[in-house]
Amino acid sequence: MTAGNASRIGLRLLLGGLFLYAGVPKILDPVGFAGNVAAYRLLPYFYDYVVAAVFPWLEVTCGILLVIGLRVRAAAMLLLLLDLVFIGVISSAIVRGLDIDCGCFRPGGGSASPWMALGRDLLILCLAAVVFWQADDSGMRRHPARWPLLMFRS
Amino acid sequence: MAVIAALALFVGVVWNRTLLRDAWRGNPVSGGAGSVPTLEGVQPLPLGLMQAKEFFDRREATFVDARDSEAFSRGRIAGARSLPVAKLGPGLGRFRQTVPLSSLIVVYCTGFSCQDSRTVAEKLQRTGYATVYVYEGGFPEWQAAGYPVAKGGLDDRR
Repeated sequence: MTAGNASRIGLRLLLGGLFLYAGVPKILDPVGFAGNVAAYRLLPYFYDYVVAAVFPWLEVTCGILLVIGLRVRAAAMLLLLLDLVFIGVISSAIVRGLDIDCGCFRPGGGSASPWMALGRDLLILCLAAVVFWQADDSGMRRHPARWPLLMFRS
Repeated sequence: MAVIAALALFVGVVWNRTLLRDAWRGNPVSGGAGSVPTLEGVQPLPLGLMQAKEFFDRREATFVDARDSEAFSRGRIAGARSLPVAKLGPGLGRFRQTVPLSSLIVVYCTGFSCQDSRTVAEKLQRTGYATVYVYEGGFPEWQAAGYPVAKGGLDDRR
């Protein structure tokens, strides 16, 4: 394995692991996460719950795909778009002067201010972009042990 | 990419179908598929500023202040009842005598990082109150929005 390959795999696992770490607690506490979403005061009441129901599953699905190395470009692109949404939402909270917990990692917690969350999301955005540009999904077909995973491809 | 997004959407909606159904109907929210239940399997519903103000304007809810009595005296949502988390034992008995179990309750404390409102709300649910909300923005958000507040040591029933 070359240094380039090791770095590529390391960044992919880091991004995947990060979103698994972020998504699983939200799946386990959707009500708490809905409270975090409601705190941004952007959506009608019911849609806070729709976001709380769907977004964590998107994070975890993409995280799993990145960790197992399947559909890496698509997963990285989805996370990149998701991160852009987060950045937009957090920026709006800063502009409106809302001092709220971002709800990024631990639902219902009080761990990260909007400014801290914005800086973190910008770093994650860069990481997702690097993983996206480095990804080469065609390599999947050269590994017979992974062929069963190809059935999940679109 | 669309397949991944559709898959996540489908699984998320199916996994949280009970939560979404309850939220759609405006009921207190049952625990999601993997969430930790309270004794009754129901968690207090988080409430935003706009919904809290709607309840306030329509006089539909009894607002409960979970902060200590000193903070309550310095300023509170107009009409709120004091039920400090530290004095839940004796306070709850008096509260139960004057507020019917069928009442809609909104509990608040000092904002998003404060857990006292959730503690009091869960206790009220265990006491038998069926519809209990936690207004997570709490008094700081309410006051910053310029909504009605009161000061002094007594409950000011509206």
